[in-house]
Amino acid sequence: MRRRVINEGDTQPGVTGPQRLLTIVTTLLLLGGLHAGPASAQDEAPDNKDCLRCHQMATLAYRDPGSGEIVDLSVDPKALSHSAHGELACSDCHNADYEQYPHPDRLKRERLACVGCHEEQDDAQARVYRFETIDEEFQHSIHVTSDAPEAADFSCHSCHDPHAFRNSEVGEDIAQIVRDDNAICLSCHEELKDPYRDPHLWLPKREKHREAVRCLDCHTPLTQSDQPVSHQILAGEDSNRDCVKCHSKAPELLNRLYQYRSETDLANKGWISKAVFNEAYVVGMSRNPVVDRSALAIIGITLLVLGAHGYGRYRAYRRSKEDQA
Amino acid sequence: MSELYLYPRWVRFWHWTNALLFILLMVSGASMHFNGVGWLLNFQVAITVHNTAGILLTIGWIGFIIGNLVSGNGRHYHVQLRGFFKRLITQSIYYGYGIFRNAPHPFHPSSEAKLNTLQQVTYIGVMYLLMPLLVLSGWAFLFSVYLPDTLLGIGSVWIVAMSHLTIAYLLVLFLLVHIYIITTGEKVLTNMRAMLTGWHRDTHQETEG
Repeated sequence: MRRRVINEGDTQPGVTGPQRLLTIVTTLLLLGGLHAGPASAQDEAPDNKDCLRCHQMATLAYRDPGSGEIVDLSVDPKALSHSAHGELACSDCHNADYEQYPHPDRLKRERLACVGCHEEQDDAQARVYRFETIDEEFQHSIHVTSDAPEAADFSCHSCHDPHAFRNSEVGEDIAQIVRDDNAICLSCHEELKDPYRDPHLWLPKREKHREAVRCLDCHTPLTQSDQPVSHQILAGEDSNRDCVKCHSKAPELLNRLYQYRSETDLANKGWISKAVFNEAYVVGMSRNPVVDRSALAIIGITLLVLGAHGYGRYRAYRRSKEDQA
Repeated sequence: MSELYLYPRWVRFWHWTNALLFILLMVSGASMHFNGVGWLLNFQVAITVHNTAGILLTIGWIGFIIGNLVSGNGRHYHVQLRGFFKRLITQSIYYGYGIFRNAPHPFHPSSEAKLNTLQQVTYIGVMYLLMPLLVLSGWAFLFSVYLPDTLLGIGSVWIVAMSHLTIAYLLVLFLLVHIYIITTGEKVLTNMRAMLTGWHRDTHQETEG
């Protein structure tokens, strides 16, 4: 899911040995592709055809000389066309000089900032959720404040692949949204997949939670109900560990979970099916110790009174039988 | 001995359907509410059973109201204010005291009035107050997206949940008392039989409805 260095340009100065081989293979593949005429690239917007001619190749990559990691340069044209940026030309975000090949070395330093571009959009003011807010929240995120080496250079693109990301919409399969969302977290936090290192050992029904709620639902502070989930990712120790925040009365988190599911149910199924196969119910949402205890106590006392009343009637019946005898 | 035809076929059909739905709703509702306790229904099964039974209960309730409007059965729910408290107290004293002294039933059902005042008040409370609130809160649960996020500063889903739960407990309470009270007829099963056959048997002209 992640392409950390996706915007750092395609040129690779100082490439030697295996990296050079990779480049040669890639170039050969590219030339072959030119002759064959890539079919899927023709489906894309004309502006992107030239770029995708190379970048749609799944194998397009190089090994970063600094970190030694393989840097993926491929862009899936289908994912791109379905993404939030699907209608943009590559040059809307990337420097137009990329059309030169080999790409000029200076472009390597290109840094793309989501916030700047998005705040310049015509609808920026009208948006419920401003990119400025996102940036503010993100600056307080553990991904920014952490000193851990893994969190160095963390950017929007670490989680949101700009060539594939799109917002989920009401009506989509919730399980799929949750899976996709959590896959982003799990792509780095591999310790969560290890049952011996997973810090969620305290959490009852871990798998059920992982299928039903997003990591973000507990690992972000609550936002207003009309606002999407916050971008301030919390450290594990600051995150919600309180079961009753979802499984009881706390309105915000419960509302967020329940209402979103209700909307999706309605959009997917229509109201009759929704009424029968309601997916939105959150276990324990109706739990209230005061109501439960007092009701069960009253029911218990009532049963005792009815039992005693019945016994009294039985005694009276016996007495009347004796009187008759 | 006299026999009175007090419960027409539609009333009996409605009554026993309602009874079955009540049981299904109680079991499935408890299974959702107390999920995790071993002997209850599977959560997903409980949701489907509860929602289906809830929809049928709604239809049944509407049917009951319409039936009462068009058939004349509704007259049993018209409270006669004259002597109301006296009748209420007399009936209560009978259940609380007289019944242990083998006192005669203070109320004799007739085709004009099959319910004693205490029954009348209870059934009006249950059928015209608690049931519509239960049904409304149930539907509000399902379509809570159309409600405001908060009511009086409290999350509306929670308000709906608590109303539904409280009313449900009250109706469980009603059901327990109802099941017990019907055994206080002339014989233990007299009233139960009447609701099955429609005919109320009255050997001594001293019966309970």
